[in-house]
Amino acid sequence: MAVTIRRLEESDGVEGFDCGDEPLNNYLKHHAWTNQQKVSIGVTYAAVDESAPRTVLGYFTLATSSVPRDRFPQEYVRGLPPYDLPLILLARLAVDKRFSGKGLGHALLSEALKITLRVADEVGCRCIITDACPDKAGWYARYGFVPLEGKTATSPQRMYLDVRTIRRASSIDSFPPERA
Amino acid sequence: MPPAVKSKKAVALPAKAPTARKSKFQADLAPSEDSMVRILKTELQMTSNTDFLTDALALLRWAVSERKRGHHIISESSTGERKILLFPRLERVAPEVTLPHVDIHWTDKELESLAELASGQPADPTDALIRAMRQ
Repeated sequence: MAVTIRRLEESDGVEGFDCGDEPLNNYLKHHAWTNQQKVSIGVTYAAVDESAPRTVLGYFTLATSSVPRDRFPQEYVRGLPPYDLPLILLARLAVDKRFSGKGLGHALLSEALKITLRVADEVGCRCIITDACPDKAGWYARYGFVPLEGKTATSPQRMYLDVRTIRRASSIDSFPPERA
Repeated sequence: MPPAVKSKKAVALPAKAPTARKSKFQADLAPSEDSMVRILKTELQMTSNTDFLTDALALLRWAVSERKRGHHIISESSTGERKILLFPRLERVAPEVTLPHVDIHWTDKELESLAELASGQPADPTDALIRAMRQ
């Protein structure tokens, strides 16, 4: 399987997509293209196989956001720059369950983090945030995402990864061995 | 039949090497890619692998510089039909990675936690993150 990750296109086949989570299926099928092209509230990137380049195997959606400096608690403001805190929101990430276990999630997250680094280099951003389903929080933690406090019983787990950590990872030459 | 691109091992240069050192280039090509190199060399009337690589490099360098400037690479047929080159690796250098801006709802506790993390020292990258950035 030769996977390419690129921006979602209007002619992409999304109807058969099934990641096992109906809201994530529904987003891709009914909202991703509109949100990207018409109302501009998120850009979706699709993973496709070169042998079937219109069939979406997995996707993620990114947007930017920021936190106004005056919303932070006073005791932390001194350690932050005197501006709003720019960040990237990894709004969604899903893999069709027929292709799970093939490293697609890793490839998608890898591309999302590379885009984050490029955006940080181009216009500046301090971190990437995601709202993880509770059963996926461990998967994100493997990549260094740290859970933020304040989760309620019904809310997803909001998680944080510092751009400086991503940048440091990208500058490391040695390749750590895969751990079982 | 020898491969289209010769495999050469890098040879240590003597101590008095000239300053403008030439690099050896080694590539493991699949049979189909090897065949493609042969066909292209024939079409372009090239005999040297070095010339082939030099021209390929010049073309790729030009493509990268154009995408870095935000220019699209387009082919136009005699009837005016246009096709835009979409090459994922080239898209990585394109400047138009503009993402829309959204507002996120934050609880006070989440903001406190975010501020604590953002104002502190960054964590060391995990092995999985290092692998992700090298993919």
